[in-house]
Amino acid sequence: MAKVVFTSGFARRYTGGVREFEVEAKNLRGVLKAMDALFPGLGAHLEEETTVAINGEYHETGYFQPVPPGAEVFFIPRIEGG
Amino acid sequence: MNDTAIVAESARRFKWVGTRPIRPDGVPKVTGRAMYGADLKLPGMIYGKILRSPHAHARIRSIDTSAAEALPGVKAVMTSADLPEQKFDYIGPERVAVNFWHVTRNIMAREKVLYEGHAVAAVAAASASIAEQAISLIKVDYEVLPHVIDVDEAMAPDAPVLIEDMITRGVEPRPTRPSNISKRLEFAIGDVEAGFKQADVVIEKQFKTAAVHQGYIEPHATVAKYEPDGQCEIWSSSQGHFTIRALTAQVIGARLSDIRVTPAEIGGGFGGKTVTYLEPVAAVLSRKSGLPVRVQMTREEVFRASGPTSGASMWVKIGVRKDGTITAMDGVFKFQAGAWPGSPVMNGCLCAFAPYDVPNQRSVGYDVVSNRPKAAAYRAPGSPISAFAVESVLDMCARAIGMDPLEIRHRNGCRIGSPTIAGPKHAHAGYLETVEALMRHPGYTAKLGPNQGRGVASGYWFNAGGESSATIQVNADGTVLVATGSPDIGGSRASMAIMAAETLGVDYKDVRAIVADTASVGYTHVTGGSRVTFATGMAVVNASKTVVKDLIKRAALIWGVDEDGVVWEDGHARPAGSNVGDFPPLSLKAIAAKAAATGGPITASHGVTAGGQAPGFSTQFCDVEVDPETGKVTILRFVAAQDVGRAIHPSYVEGQIQGGVTQGIGWALNEEYIYTPQGLLDNPGFLDYRCPVASDLPMIEAVLVEVPNPAHPYGAKGVGEVNICPPMAAIANAIAAATGKRLTELPMSPPRVLAALSES
Repeated sequence: MAKVVFTSGFARRYTGGVREFEVEAKNLRGVLKAMDALFPGLGAHLEEETTVAINGEYHETGYFQPVPPGAEVFFIPRIEGG
Repeated sequence: MNDTAIVAESARRFKWVGTRPIRPDGVPKVTGRAMYGADLKLPGMIYGKILRSPHAHARIRSIDTSAAEALPGVKAVMTSADLPEQKFDYIGPERVAVNFWHVTRNIMAREKVLYEGHAVAAVAAASASIAEQAISLIKVDYEVLPHVIDVDEAMAPDAPVLIEDMITRGVEPRPTRPSNISKRLEFAIGDVEAGFKQADVVIEKQFKTAAVHQGYIEPHATVAKYEPDGQCEIWSSSQGHFTIRALTAQVIGARLSDIRVTPAEIGGGFGGKTVTYLEPVAAVLSRKSGLPVRVQMTREEVFRASGPTSGASMWVKIGVRKDGTITAMDGVFKFQAGAWPGSPVMNGCLCAFAPYDVPNQRSVGYDVVSNRPKAAAYRAPGSPISAFAVESVLDMCARAIGMDPLEIRHRNGCRIGSPTIAGPKHAHAGYLETVEALMRHPGYTAKLGPNQGRGVASGYWFNAGGESSATIQVNADGTVLVATGSPDIGGSRASMAIMAAETLGVDYKDVRAIVADTASVGYTHVTGGSRVTFATGMAVVNASKTVVKDLIKRAALIWGVDEDGVVWEDGHARPAGSNVGDFPPLSLKAIAAKAAATGGPITASHGVTAGGQAPGFSTQFCDVEVDPETGKVTILRFVAAQDVGRAIHPSYVEGQIQGGVTQGIGWALNEEYIYTPQGLLDNPGFLDYRCPVASDLPMIEAVLVEVPNPAHPYGAKGVGEVNICPPMAAIANAIAAATGKRLTELPMSPPRVLAALSES
């Protein structure tokens, strides 16, 4: 199981304010599908609007990213720089 | 650690990584032969010019272009009517959430002009002087409206509202009245109120920073050639030609495959060339005239119409115990977005307290529009602004408890596993090492004279990863071409060639790195976010590894052995063991000569969505002298320690650090936009907008701290941005040490310093 966490603003918009979920997934695609099953359409928002930190390490929200057992998967607004 | 030691350490492990070969773009640049955006001249090319608003805020009643169209030599005239309307929607990444309804109105005004310099119409003519004359013949009927420039004034309930139906996002319940506040953000961990109760000392302060321009030497310039079959070629100076292609296609209503963008050499960007101003205009003028069109900005247009970074109004509160432990950090950050929503306030909120391991943190941000040019990214966008406030208050806390400013930072510095206000825990080290590097620096304990003071500050920047592509070709003579889609702003051609040479095991001088156009290499995101050496470097290394596999396969074919009997070492195929056979090593050059016989051209492409980037940390100290009679601040010494992961080309890394610090010094001491009471910019040129020049500065000492990133093949981290975060606070803290006066508003120019000194 992986722990999925959203920022409060994101949770307010898309998950009725609930910030934390437990999902079964081996990679980020699995996390997105699991969240989309709970909240239809959420997967697309996550892909479009977020960067993900898996155990604190930042990645683009790509399907292929492995999610180790017990990982904390934190979705935050995507960061871009100058 | 000094950089000589770093080179020696890298040289022990690598042949090319960590060395300082001559830059491949050096000769064209120093001989004046490099082709920048304004240098291209095509046969039959005509000249575009943009009519800009003389008002800070006005409604456009009508535009009459008939006289301009009738002028001999005029080939095309355009207004916003020549661009398709866009859907109102914030799409894409949150920080740069692109709303094309806004973008198209920034490129060419529709209902209103929102700042002096806002584009209203454009012409293309046989000569620049005819174009200039033609725009003077365009009649625009304006209804002038009240304007607002300052962020606090723009937030006031009675402020003139720029976007008349804009309701603040992120506020519950949803406001019923429009305002200039585009968005409210809040991030928090722990309990800040409880944290402040645990503190022995609590200090809070208000701060203001000025909007400052990126100050690139080369103005925006582009050439577009639209063919009758709908194919459009664009030559442009930008930080991302794939992004220019995407933005232009959307704004003019074309398909990506209809537009090919070739990157010109770029004369500086610093974030300000990640957006488009001219390319859609040039493309439409070319489409209407049937001729190639060049459009370029003057320096005044750059200041009046292209993005500065935000000015800001901030409040920060920090609580510490007597032993130096920070118990809580709190801040409110109000950022100017310019005419359209989209300041870097989210980054400011997320980076503000990031260097510190503090359980209780809160940051609230406001994105606020006002009658100024739309803000664009500028080097670690948002982070330097909030760092000025946070690092100033932290310095006051250290003084209040009698603790050395490096010591308080070291005591509270983040480690792997420390919480961040965004939520994820820190996954990388590097901050404490920058503090320790300065603690060891002999200059930190050097004696100071009268009117002199020393200041310390730190900074944090996320750094980026993302999509990059590279193609490698091995030529018949054994030389190697590396093509990427990353415009070279900070030395990426050199670092790409170094990483390819290291991976292939060939001489750096045999590798030629180029920046390829959008039709010749895979999609690559902008040169920004300090991402290129990390992400594009990963694509280059992976493509090089694919080439090595191919070379091994070909050597096996030449020798008539199995592929697993061949290894690649130091640029040569060698038998994996004595049982394979007694074959003399085959160099890359020897295999390249047999390319046709062994399978055809040797080439490999690789695309990557790079992740696992490590953030940047920088800690800096400076010594200043304050002239008590004039208020002038002279920088005596500036030392900047930065975690660079591994310096692929240390000279370029040092250059990045020196450049970032220099821009920070300008931001701290002199740079600001000065507006008239009518909301018109009064200093749109480098004489009156005062950037630092070489004679203003001491030699800036870059201390390279190497904590390699395991996610990159050579340990690279982004190095381009975090260096601009600490200087403003470091200088303010040094001024406070020298004079006992705390300056809280940028720039700390002589009149402002003198006024502070005269306060009792």
